[in-house]
Amino acid sequence: MHEVEIAVVGAGPAGLSAAIEAARAGAKVLLLDENRKPGGQLFKQIHKFFGSKAHYAAVRGIDIGCRLLDEAQESGVETWLNIPVWGLFGNHTLAVIRDGRAQTVRAKKIILATGASENALSFPGWTLPGVMTAGAAQTMMNIHRVLPGQRVLMVGAGNIGLIVSYQLLQAGGEVVAVIEAMDQIGGYAVHAAKIRRAGVPILVSHTIREAHGREQVEAATIVQVDEQMQPIPGTERRLGVDTVCLAVGLTPLAELGWMAGCGFAYIPDLGGFVPLHDENMETTLPGLYVAGDITGIEEANSAMEEGRLAGLAAAEALGYLREEAISRKAEVRQRLDSLRLGPFGEKRQRAKERLLGECRGQLAKQEPPDVSKSCQDLTRSRITVVTGVLSLEELAGSPGYPSQERLRSGKVAVIECMQQIPCDPCVGACPRGAISIAPTITDLPVLDAEKCNGCGLCLPACPGLAIFLVDLTFSPTETLVAFPYEYLPLPKVGTEVEAVDREGHVVARGRVVRVQNPPRYDRTPVISIAIPKEFAQVVRSIKRSGKR
Amino acid sequence: MRVVDHPILGKLPEGRTVEITFDGHPLEALEGEPILAALLAHGIQRCRTTVKRREPRWFYCGIGRCTDCVMIVNGIPNVRTCVTTVGAGMKIETQEGLGRWERADA
Amino acid sequence: MIEDKVLCRCEEVLESEIREAIQAGARTLHGVKIRTRAGMGLCQGQTCQRLIARILAEETGQSPAEILPATYRPPCRPINLSFLSGVEG
Repeated sequence: MHEVEIAVVGAGPAGLSAAIEAARAGAKVLLLDENRKPGGQLFKQIHKFFGSKAHYAAVRGIDIGCRLLDEAQESGVETWLNIPVWGLFGNHTLAVIRDGRAQTVRAKKIILATGASENALSFPGWTLPGVMTAGAAQTMMNIHRVLPGQRVLMVGAGNIGLIVSYQLLQAGGEVVAVIEAMDQIGGYAVHAAKIRRAGVPILVSHTIREAHGREQVEAATIVQVDEQMQPIPGTERRLGVDTVCLAVGLTPLAELGWMAGCGFAYIPDLGGFVPLHDENMETTLPGLYVAGDITGIEEANSAMEEGRLAGLAAAEALGYLREEAISRKAEVRQRLDSLRLGPFGEKRQRAKERLLGECRGQLAKQEPPDVSKSCQDLTRSRITVVTGVLSLEELAGSPGYPSQERLRSGKVAVIECMQQIPCDPCVGACPRGAISIAPTITDLPVLDAEKCNGCGLCLPACPGLAIFLVDLTFSPTETLVAFPYEYLPLPKVGTEVEAVDREGHVVARGRVVRVQNPPRYDRTPVISIAIPKEFAQVVRSIKRSGKR
Repeated sequence: MRVVDHPILGKLPEGRTVEITFDGHPLEALEGEPILAALLAHGIQRCRTTVKRREPRWFYCGIGRCTDCVMIVNGIPNVRTCVTTVGAGMKIETQEGLGRWERADA
Repeated sequence: MIEDKVLCRCEEVLESEIREAIQAGARTLHGVKIRTRAGMGLCQGQTCQRLIARILAEETGQSPAEILPATYRPPCRPINLSFLSGVEG
């Protein structure tokens, strides 16, 4: 038997953060993971994260993963990899496989950070080779560097479906369509906008009916659904695809919690059954803590904060930190609250409050949301989120869009960010203080177009790739449009390109004027093209050149 | 197909290769990669045939949970190829049904 | 009626077989499991459990909150049984 003070199960963002905090506080911490490499899902996340500076905003998930691993090592966390935890007995004893035999680990405190599993969707043909979860495709291309298919149908337009679609394009695949059973996408509009301008159609109110093929997927039939999610006869369409990716939600992975016998609540907004926990992330079993997706599906930033909270609380309970614990935990809770602001976060915030309430034994009443500013704004942006393509009218009303007058006077940033998501790297990127997000991190970016000189530094800083540069004064007949472009190959200066609109349609010929890709852009190159003047408001990217 | 160059991840590092066999045919794999990735890189899209319905299966979850990608590895059936690293000389076989054990000691 | 399809990928249990089991009296995931073997394969219901829970809710009128996961027993991860010989105390 191995004895430690704190054992953390799962070395993803939550588990790593928990282990780091607890070890820094002075506790002897053992971090366990069944995989050969730590990091959980972080090393698949090659995109820049949303959030504020405190949340590693605009840093790619892979790089956050590396930082956490360094911090874990520096803080003295002992890490066991390739060690499956196959049992939890009571609230102190874990069963593991190590050195080819079953062993037990006894810990004074145990933190479960086991994450989530991907939901399934069954349809005729879903067992054929070529049907896989979106996470599987992401693992293959971003970790193992093999492309799972050439022509992909993505089922589900939540953030995972949208992000993995984008990453399939980046890895050289083709996404034939993204379909979504709801009448609008579930993920952020900026994620949708990236793949829309790459020409990927997003079909809402559509589901998959069947995958066809003998040995592997050769085609898929999709069908439109009505408000009751029932297929509408006669709307079937057959798409030639070799891969079907399923991105239909996540479920907290809490087997060890069930086994130990801690209390659970069923909360659909958190992904199903979740272990009850208090303000310190402690479950109904004393000494057993939870953090991250196991306590409800959120995203990596929240998982890291919950991990920190659990790590601090477990260390505090062992007598470390003393007075400091209260203020440290308060800081983390404040950051967690800020991540759960805005129309996307508030549902999770209420669900979390209900979870805490149930844990206290007082079922918190599900109150209807306040009709506050945020809700009104959500209504306003409802149309835009259907498939992520903003209309010119909507853009004109956005606080990040310069006036026509300002546009005519020369180079200026154009911020096409219309949803209240917790994200603010654009503010810090502007050397002239022309962008503000206030009072909360979920407010929309406001552009002070008079201060903006069109330097373009905000373009690569925006994790949503939603900022562009427009210069109507470029030449008497041409406008310059600059946009972020994270694909290979990069176009060469002077070459002619096909300029596309927000839906990926070719609308004009353009000429590449500049390709900027310095290290500080962190692999988000910015391309500037000259196009006929009348397309200044329309062109937002270029058609990607042939497959590598 | 291997993703040789990638806008974010850069060029695929030149790693050492190992030789494995798939159903008797020699294949080159990259040291450290899972068996499944090596097969995928060579366009192999089948891990097994199911017991009852004799259907082809490949991988589904890619992270060791669904067990769809199990194959016979060095004579041992039901090995999850998405989480098992290749080794020099490793013998990989398509698993028919429950598969067949070549050794009884493992 | 939509074409029949496999729900439990490991044990190859069809949706129609799950529905029959419920009509024959299964009211829990465990009940479906012991009648059909759904969730009893190598993956232990990792993939199909929620799909089956949905059908249970649909057929029996229970709310999803009432359909508890089947009992989790160790080992909850696939391990080689030979590892268990000589478990220390």
